[in-house]
Formats: sequence, C-alpha cells, structure tokens
Amino acid sequence: MTGETYLSANEVGKTYGDVTALSDVSLDVPADAVTGLIGPNGSGKTTLLRVLLGLERPTGGTVEYGGPDAVRRLGYLPQRPTFRPGFTVRETIGFYADLVDDDPDRLLERVGLGDVADRPVDGLSGGMTRLLGIAQALAGDPPVVVLDEPASGLDPAMSELIFDVVASIADEGRAVALSSHELALVERTADRLAVLESGAVVTVDTPQALRERTGGPLHETFTSLLERESAVVTATEVGDA
Amino acid sequence: MTRADGFWTVFVREVRAAIRTRAYLGLLAVLAAALFGVARAGGGPAGGYVPTVVDLLVVVEVLVPTVAFAVGYRAIADPAARGELDVLETYPLPSWAYVGGVYAGRSAVLLTLVGLPLAALGVQVATTAGPETTVFASHRGVDSPLLYVRFLALTLWYALIALSLAFVLSALAGSRGRALVLALAGLLVVTVGGDVAVFAGLDGGLVTSETLGGALAMTPAGAYRGLVFDQVLYVAVPGRSAFVSGAVAVGSLLFWWVGSLVATELVTDTR
Repeated sequence: MTGETYLSANEVGKTYGDVTALSDVSLDVPADAVTGLIGPNGSGKTTLLRVLLGLERPTGGTVEYGGPDAVRRLGYLPQRPTFRPGFTVRETIGFYADLVDDDPDRLLERVGLGDVADRPVDGLSGGMTRLLGIAQALAGDPPVVVLDEPASGLDPAMSELIFDVVASIADEGRAVALSSHELALVERTADRLAVLESGAVVTVDTPQALRERTGGPLHETFTSLLERESAVVTATEVGDA
Repeated sequence: MTRADGFWTVFVREVRAAIRTRAYLGLLAVLAAALFGVARAGGGPAGGYVPTVVDLLVVVEVLVPTVAFAVGYRAIADPAARGELDVLETYPLPSWAYVGGVYAGRSAVLLTLVGLPLAALGVQVATTAGPETTVFASHRGVDSPLLYVRFLALTLWYALIALSLAFVLSALAGSRGRALVLALAGLLVVTVGGDVAVFAGLDGGLVTSETLGGALAMTPAGAYRGLVFDQVLYVAVPGRSAFVSGAVAVGSLLFWWVGSLVATELVTDTR
C-alpha cells in the first residue's frame, strides 16, 4: 500500500424518498490496495459503490477523486455484467477498448480469456462473463477499479480465480473497491474492510484487526459487529420511547 | 481518441449488429411484399409515378413508422436494462456521441429497409408505365421520375423522424417491457392519434377551417402528407394548391426530428 488516497467519500448521504440508503458515510479508497465492503443485503454496499463511481448523485456530502490523470479514471464491473448478444468475446472487448485506445488482446490475456476470444458472448459461462466484465473494467488502465459482487453466484474454484485476478489488479498500483458476501475470499484478498449496516459504516479496519476483535474467523467478527449495532439501535429506540 | 471516434465506434457496432440480425431480412421482405402488393392492386405502376404515389401514400404513412418503431424501440432501453449505459458512463464517451452513434447506425438500417423496396418500385414504374413518364418534367401537369424521387426523399425523412420518436420513447422506457408498451402507444399516436386530435379539435371548435391546414401540419404524419401533396401530387395536377403550408410542414418535421433527438440525449444523460 502506498497510502495515497485515489477516491474518497466524505460524509455521503443518499436517500430515495423516505428511504435512507446511505447516512453520513466517509471512506477512503487508497492506491495499491483492495478495499472491501461487507455487510448484509440492503446495507448500502451497491449504493455506496455507485455513488463513488458517480452513477448516483449523493443527497449529501461529496466524493473526490485524488488519483492521477487518466483517459478513464474509474473502471466498473456491475453486479451482473451482461453484454450485447451476437458478438464474439474479442469483438465485445474490442468495442470498449476502441473507446479508450486500448489493445483488446492485452485485456483478454490479462484475465485469461485469450483462448476463447472467438466464442460468442452469449455462450460464455457465468464465471467467464464475469472475467470479461473485469477485462472491460480494466480498459483504458483506470487508476480506480470498482467491482460490485465480482464472484456472486459462481462456483468456489471460479470465485477463487476471480479474487486472484482482483488481487493482481491492486498489485499493479490501482485502488480497488469491491463489495462481496464471500467473506473468506474477501478476508484473504482485501487490505482494508468497511463493514456496512443500514446505510452506515460500522467500522473500517484491516481483516487481521477485525479478526482479533473476536479471536475467530471474519464471519464471527462480522456477525458480532452487526449484533452490537442492532443492540445499539434497539436500545436507542427503547430510550427514545 | 476523440469524441467523434467514440461516435464512429458506436456507429460501426450498430451496423455490424444489424448485418447479423436476420429479422431485418424478414422485415424487408414483408415491407416489399406489402408495398408491391398495394401498388399492383391499385394499378399504379402501369399508370405512372404519381398514380403509384397515390396508391402508396396511406399505406406508407402507417407502414414506415411501424418499421421505424420496430428498428428503434429497444435502441436505448436494451442497453439501459443490460447496465451498459452505467458502464459507458465510466468511459470518455459523451451521451450525444452514444445516442448519435446508435441513431446513425439504426438510420442506415431503416433507410435500407424503406429505401430499397420503394426504389425497386420506382424501377418497376419506369419499366412498365407509358413513355410519357420518362420525361424529367420541370413544369406542372406532367408525371415524372423526379416526382417519385421527391416522394422517396420525403418518405425517407419521415422514416428518420419516426425513428427519432421511437428513440425518445425507448430512452424514457428504461426496461424492455415498458419499451414495447410505449412503442405501441407512440406508434398509435404517430399514425392516427395526430389526425384524430386535430379532427376532435375541429369538432370542438378549437380548430377552424382556416386553421385546419396549420393544425394538420403540426403532426408528423400530417406534415409529411401535406408535403407529399405539395411537392409531388399537386405538381402533376394543374390549378391545385397544397392544403398545408410547405414552410410550416418543414418546420414541424424539423421540430419533431431535432426535438426528439435532443430529448433522447437529455434523458439518456440524466438517467
């Protein structure tokens, strides 16, 4: 980790009508590191990633980019990447590469899809589609790469491969932010973890420091953190009543 | 990489996709069969260019927007549903270059689908009608290939305008299901809704016999029909004048064309 912050959210809030998706969230995404977002479904992980990407406008707070100048500052892998049918893998990545003057073959080799370049995208497995999505996210060599659930719904071997690729992306000096429910893989890959609950960041720390809080594996820490958070919320509600 | 390069990248992908879409061949065959069938049933090709236009006008007013909506109703809704628009927001590709590239690509498809059978029909008229139709007339009262070329040009422009209307509805839809519903509703409004509204206005006193021509020219179909009468049919009939002002009709069509494309860009940009 170089410690340089490429992307930061400062007291970000996001509401949809009466529903609060994010509340006063501050988070730094440093270079040369993987920042993992973990939390239960509906805790605001995807919304936070979309706000960091600029796809959602926050209702409060700011998001600042502090990375180097680049043709494309932010790379993005959506939760369920879907590509236009009727094209081969190479033609598909060629489209994105053309937009940023990149080499499609380099991008395919980077994620290990060089051998299936002529296969139609509609014939790819879920894991290969995800790898193609990562290749797309790397087009133009963006300093920040944001990955939303990069391994959800994949078999263990493919999930492991995806996380190996993710780790190597950060090793190239990029700032990587990802959300995931694959706690074992996140624990192994992430340098920092932010635990989200009900749209707020409960804590941010290294996986090792989080583990030491309970002395067990990360999922135990995760569960105890969320239970504690729920207890605080319940106590506050009782106190208010 | 310039923004114009992004436009061309999107345009080339649209054309490539169209070349691989066999459904367009089916659409071309159906459209050609319908146009040739109507022309043959009316006996137009044997009579000349203007009789052929008379046979085709009503059918073209309905079929051309239908084909345009078929080509364009999913143009923006599909990539939005796939999440492609979100991904493209992280690229140095302005939304005008994306919308423009998709529109240009699908326009090429649409112009081919509409232009080929109409041009072929023109060739049939040239080979089957009487010798007087070969005169390139520059004055009123004479049938001429130039009148048919005008009809073809106006019809292709009408197709492009219908496509731009399909685009704005596709951008507003955001999902495939809503895109279909909006396209069907839009098609109904473009083909018959405008005329029905004008005649309802006439019945209710909002439109008078003096303002009827102007009101009809406000709708895309009415403006197109008015221009075909003005620039094609009445040219061959001495002593007749158009029922809508040509300038108003052109202004109306420009408004619908440019307005729809600008609206599509704005909706896509603010998604």
